[in-house]
Amino acid sequence: MPHEIQIEAVDGLRYRIARDEGRGMRTDVVVYASEALMAQIRKDLSLEQAMNVATLPGITGPSLAMPDIHQGYGFPIGGVAAMDFEDGVVSPGGVGFDINCGVRLVRTTLAADDVRPKLRELVNQIFRDVPCGAGGSGFVKAGAKDLEHVLRDGARWMVENGYGEERDAQFAEAGGALEDADPAAVSERAKERGRPQLGTLGSGNHFLEVQFVEQIHDETAARAFGISAGQVVVLIHSGSRGLGHQVCTDYVAEMNKVMPRYGITLPDRQLACCPISAPEGQAYLAAMRAAANFAWANRQGIMHFLRGAFRRIFGDGAHLDLIYDVCHNIAKRERYEVAGRKRDVLVHRKGATRAFPAGHREIPADYRHVGQPVFVPGSMGTASWVLAGAEGAMRETFGSVCHGAGRLMSRTAAKKGRDAQYETQKLEEAGILVRSESRDGILEELPEAYKNVDEVIEVVHKAGLARKVARLRPMGVIKG
Amino acid sequence: MFEVLEHPADIGFRAFGATLPELFANSAVAMLTIACELEQAAPREEYAISATGSDYESLLVNWLNEVLYWFDGKRIALREFRVTELEPDSICAVALGEPREVERPRLKVVVKAVTWHQLRVAQTENGWLAEVYLDI
Repeated sequence: MPHEIQIEAVDGLRYRIARDEGRGMRTDVVVYASEALMAQIRKDLSLEQAMNVATLPGITGPSLAMPDIHQGYGFPIGGVAAMDFEDGVVSPGGVGFDINCGVRLVRTTLAADDVRPKLRELVNQIFRDVPCGAGGSGFVKAGAKDLEHVLRDGARWMVENGYGEERDAQFAEAGGALEDADPAAVSERAKERGRPQLGTLGSGNHFLEVQFVEQIHDETAARAFGISAGQVVVLIHSGSRGLGHQVCTDYVAEMNKVMPRYGITLPDRQLACCPISAPEGQAYLAAMRAAANFAWANRQGIMHFLRGAFRRIFGDGAHLDLIYDVCHNIAKRERYEVAGRKRDVLVHRKGATRAFPAGHREIPADYRHVGQPVFVPGSMGTASWVLAGAEGAMRETFGSVCHGAGRLMSRTAAKKGRDAQYETQKLEEAGILVRSESRDGILEELPEAYKNVDEVIEVVHKAGLARKVARLRPMGVIKG
Repeated sequence: MFEVLEHPADIGFRAFGATLPELFANSAVAMLTIACELEQAAPREEYAISATGSDYESLLVNWLNEVLYWFDGKRIALREFRVTELEPDSICAVALGEPREVERPRLKVVVKAVTWHQLRVAQTENGWLAEVYLDI
């Protein structure tokens, strides 16, 4: 149980759970948190889960937990684990069911004062034009053959087929498409589930938010990202929809089947894994990359329809540009110095964002002098953050930071005793318009259900993992 | 027949059955009741559904994933399940339901997948129970 875990406070920002061989742990757990956040983190099973991750063969460095960590299944959400690329394992559960769930931030040429008088009109238009997908399909026309291209080329296919502008694909992590994706490794079932859902938001915590830049914390980085105080931006949070969910489902089942062959036993079957070098591991990675590409195409589709909605309300006066697109559920081969030696590792980020510092060659040239843009959405009604990756992340967290505020309350608890109409009204009085497919959706995602995002950001900023660039405030929310 | 279990980010259910076939049928209904307004689906067409596993736990996960694929992939809303054959490694059932339409049955939440997290299939004094967590 959580209260039995021995936790050592390292310096007020870092906590350590020492390797416990009795539990089969191969390494320590390091948690990034303030004292107050740590008190909240201890309430659920997330630390146990981070300890379970520490038992995985080939784990390199500690099993890491970001300040927004909360209980998932198998891996905690907000966890980072690097596996040795030669001897380590790959775990589909360490990426999650929503492969390449992520966020993209879009800047507009409008100011909050331009948008506010037409906010209701705009939010209603976006709600009409960007489907949540509850009805089963979106507006992207993609046949079975097209889907093969989407799985290989990601956002690029969308741009080439009229769903975006040339520079969109360049300003996404990995250029909006991972190499070595193999559509043949993706099951027909996954394709069947995903194809009609291309360009849809989904439900749960997925959303689209019209926001304004409330405060700039780093002028140089903000200028590079093209944002200034008062400017309207749009944050899109979605993933690979049914396609990614099915890929994960398929390969968790496959790995549970083959694990005995590789002599792997685990404390939780959701951690199911196999050697990266095994045929099943390679097949999963090829399918995961294809699903990741689908997710980038999906967010690109959503952005395309968003542009249309802005055009309908503001005419040609509003131009929308992609700042960047980051994923927070992914496994990637990267190179880090570990114990004085350069090593290739497979970094599993489950609810964690890549945060490369200034100078890294994978950052678009326009941003390379300030660091990779990182977007951390808070809860509906509070705030979101723009950060820039910093050196500390390369030294300590395999180039990773947090991905959100982190849930505090279960969905059922959030709904208890609350009325959707009253809560919507309350948000509206605070200047935030919300449209949702379901009334429950609004209640489940209320600010009270989440940790304080500012506190989460404070930890990663002070720990030197990423720098604060700007704080964003919501104006209009479309919830899946 | 089933109750909802809390999870910080997702949702689970505890289903009951006098027999194992009833438990598997009730678990499928529990999952789809979380996903949509299931009573809006008419049990007017028959579909044959089957799954395999290596024990009752893996069989339950695979069975529910199969039902979820019918719901989200084939877009069939299944309302009732009659389990015709159940072994520790396989299940065959006849399901009654109908193709989904845009607004019927109304979707409550997108169930992404069935997880192995704290999965339980156990015999009790009154029959069987299962605990399953869903990723939403």
